Amino acid sequence: TTKRSVQPPAERPGERRMAEMKKLYGVGAAKIQAMETAMQLAFDRNCDEKQPKYWPVIPLKL
Amino acid sequence: SSSSISTAGSGNRADLEREQQGRVELRERYLRSLFAMAGHTVHFTMYERVNVSASFDASDIDILNFQVSNLQTPLGVHREALLRCSDIISYTFEL
Amino acid sequence: MSEWQRKNPLEWQTYVNKEVKVTAAEKHEYKGWVLTIDPVSANIVLGKLMEDGKISVSVILGHAVKEVEIGNEGDDEMKEQLAHLFMPEESKAYGQ
Repeated sequence: TTKRSVQPPAERPGERRMAEMKKLYGVGAAKIQAMETAMQLAFDRNCDEKQPKYWPVIPLKL
Repeated sequence: SSSSISTAGSGNRADLEREQQGRVELRERYLRSLFAMAGHTVHFTMYERVNVSASFDASDIDILNFQVSNLQTPLGVHREALLRCSDIISYTFEL
Repeated sequence: MSEWQRKNPLEWQTYVNKEVKVTAAEKHEYKGWVLTIDPVSANIVLGKLMEDGKISVSVILGHAVKEVEIGNEGDDEMKEQLAHLFMPEESKAYGQ
């Protein structure tokens, strides 16, 4: 049967991000994260569906 | 010493909480301004005196890229586009 | 990172509800009432009442900010009209 790992479970990215959010936003972290998630979901979904290209193609700055 | 978090001494919990509360208020208002901007025509002033307008759809949460539709540029119209925030000096819309 | 981008939230908050003149890259200038400053990007959100009753919102990107001068303390009527613009009570739900 499968060998049991003695390693501790890997830290999940979501937990790490929440810890950072807590440090920055304290008790307001969950509220800010909910708003950010809504915005990021809209961004990701639109990018998937519409495949927008960068304009201009070459950055104007740097 | 440039990090705003590190300026609050570890012994001073009240200072840290005040700073966190301030960051929450500022960030919440900014995110709400982005939601309020969705679907509106936005005028962008970019570097090199480039001016464009577009309908704003969404931003990534790091505020690095804006996803827009119906982008009107001096050289033509693009139905869908991404603008790099590093190319933008300012943007304006009306409510 | 500029001095403006390195400020902490408590320093940025001292600008909220004040009239400011922002000098930005390539000599662009903006005037308006500070509604907020995004603590992630240091973007400055300015509001201005238009003659037709609409509100013009201008946002200067944090990386392009050269100088911010504080003018008047917000008069109370202006504060009332602009301060609540992006506050929870007035805003539409952001979820979709």
